[in-house]
Amino acid sequence: MGKFNNIRSKLADDLEIPNNAMTDNFDLRMHGNKKVIIENHLGISNYENDEVGIKTVENNILIKGSKFKIEEINSYKVIIKGNIDEILFLKKE
Amino acid sequence: MLIFKLMSLLKGYVVIRLKSANYEKILNLLQRKGIRMWDIEKNEQGIKLKMSYEDYVKYEEIIKETKLETVNKKGFAFKLGKLKVRKGFVAGLFILLVSLYVLSSLVWNVQVIGTNNATAVNIVKILKENNITMPVSHSSLKPKKIETMLYNNFDKFKFVEVYIEGSKLIIFVKEKEPEKAEIKSNEPSSIISNKNAIINKVIAKSGQPVVKEGDVVYEGQTLVMGMVKSKTSEEFMMVPSEGTIYGKTYYNFEMKENKLQDFEIATNKSKNVYFLQISGNSIKIVGDKDPFKNYNYREITVKIPIISKLTDIALIKGTYYEQIIKTVEIDVNTAKNKMQVNLYDDLVKRCSDDAKVLNSSLNFSEDDNYYYLRAQIEVIEDIGEKVRLTMPEVNKDETKTE
Repeated sequence: MGKFNNIRSKLADDLEIPNNAMTDNFDLRMHGNKKVIIENHLGISNYENDEVGIKTVENNILIKGSKFKIEEINSYKVIIKGNIDEILFLKKE
Repeated sequence: MLIFKLMSLLKGYVVIRLKSANYEKILNLLQRKGIRMWDIEKNEQGIKLKMSYEDYVKYEEIIKETKLETVNKKGFAFKLGKLKVRKGFVAGLFILLVSLYVLSSLVWNVQVIGTNNATAVNIVKILKENNITMPVSHSSLKPKKIETMLYNNFDKFKFVEVYIEGSKLIIFVKEKEPEKAEIKSNEPSSIISNKNAIINKVIAKSGQPVVKEGDVVYEGQTLVMGMVKSKTSEEFMMVPSEGTIYGKTYYNFEMKENKLQDFEIATNKSKNVYFLQISGNSIKIVGDKDPFKNYNYREITVKIPIISKLTDIALIKGTYYEQIIKTVEIDVNTAKNKMQVNLYDDLVKRCSDDAKVLNSSLNFSEDDNYYYLRAQIEVIEDIGEKVRLTMPEVNKDETKTE
C-alpha cells in the first residue's frame, strides 16, 4: 500500500497536482483546537474521552485532549470534536 | 452536517449501543463495510452511535454478530410506520386535506362594490341567468367574460372590474354620473335678478315682465314671470321666459399700496449643480444646493445619447441665479397704475361678461406709509338669471274635502 509513496509524493509536487490524489498520505485539517478532520485513514486504534488514535498508512496519529466525540466516521474520513491539546504523529513499528 | 442530519431524520436512523471491550475493532469493521456512523460518544455504559436505517437493514447480520444493542429508532419514516396501525386517523387526515383542497378551490359568494343594493341584486340575477351560480370552481369563472356580460346588460356602468379573491367573486362597479339638469327652452321658467340693481332696460321675448325701467330690484327678485294669463280663458298658463334685463349696478372698492416695497434684483452671479436622474430619483453629483440666500432656480434635463434611450437615466443641470432684495420707494404714478389694474381685474371677476362701465369715480390719497384708492364704478350689465318653474303641490286631503 505504501510502496513508492515518497516517489509518488515527489512526482505529485513536481507535476503540481494534489498530493492526496497520487499518494496514500493522510490529509489532516483542523478547525481551531475544537475539530480535526482526517482523510485517507485506515481506522481507529484507540478511542477514549481524552485520547483518540487514528491509523494511517505510514503513521499512527494520536490526538490528546478532553471531551472527545467522533462526529462522523466512514471508510474515507473521520471527524473528531472536542478540546484538542496536542497531536502526535507516531511512526508505525 | 445540518442538512445530513435533517435528511437522516426524514429517512430514519438507529441509535446503537456497544458494550464490548474492543469497540475500536467493531467500529473499524463497520466503517470498512461502508457503514456511515455519526455522533459516536463514549460513556460509562459503553459506546453510543447512530447509523442510517438503510444501513441497519442492509447489514443486520453483521450487527447481530457483533452483538450491538439497538437503543432507539428515530425519524419520520418510523412515525409513518406507526400510522399504518391508526387507519382511522390516516383516513380522517386524508378527508381533511381533500376537503380543504376542494373547499378552497370553489368560489362561495359574490360581493358587489360601488353600487346600491338593488343593482347588486340585479347583477346576481344576471349571473344566475347566465348559469353562474355559487358555489362555482375558480377555473370555470372567466372574469373578462363576466365584465363584458355586465357591460352589455347595464348601460349605466362606467367601469366594471371582476376578480376572484380567495373564495369570493368581487365585482367592482362604477356607475355613470347623472347628467346635469339643464333648463330646456320649452320648460316653464322665470327670470330673477342675481344682483341688487336699478332697472335700465327690459327686453322680454316671452313671459310676463313684472319690473319696468327705473325700478330698484334686489337679488332674487322676479323680473320676468313664467305665468301668463290665457287670452281665451281666465286660466293662467306656464311658459318659458326669454329675455334680457339690463340693470345699473354699483361697485365700491378700497385699495392701498405700500410706499416702500421690496424688489428682487438679479446680480450677475450664478452657480451650477448637476444631478443624475435614475428612474425619477435625483442624485447630486457636483455642486451645492441653495448656494445663495435669495435665488432664482432653473433646470435643464440633458439626455445622455444611447444610455437615456435604453435606460431611464438622464443628467440634470440646475442653475442658481443670485438675487438681492432692495427696498425702493415707489412714486405716485406707479402706485396709481398698479391699483387701477388691480381694481379692473377685480371688477371683471365680479361683473357679467357683457357689462359696460357707465361711470367711474376714482379718489386717490396718501399718508406716510400708504397710497389709497377709493372708487365707485357704475356698470350696466345683464342681471337676469333663469330659474325653473315648478307646479305647486296640491294637498290631497284638501281636494278630497272639497
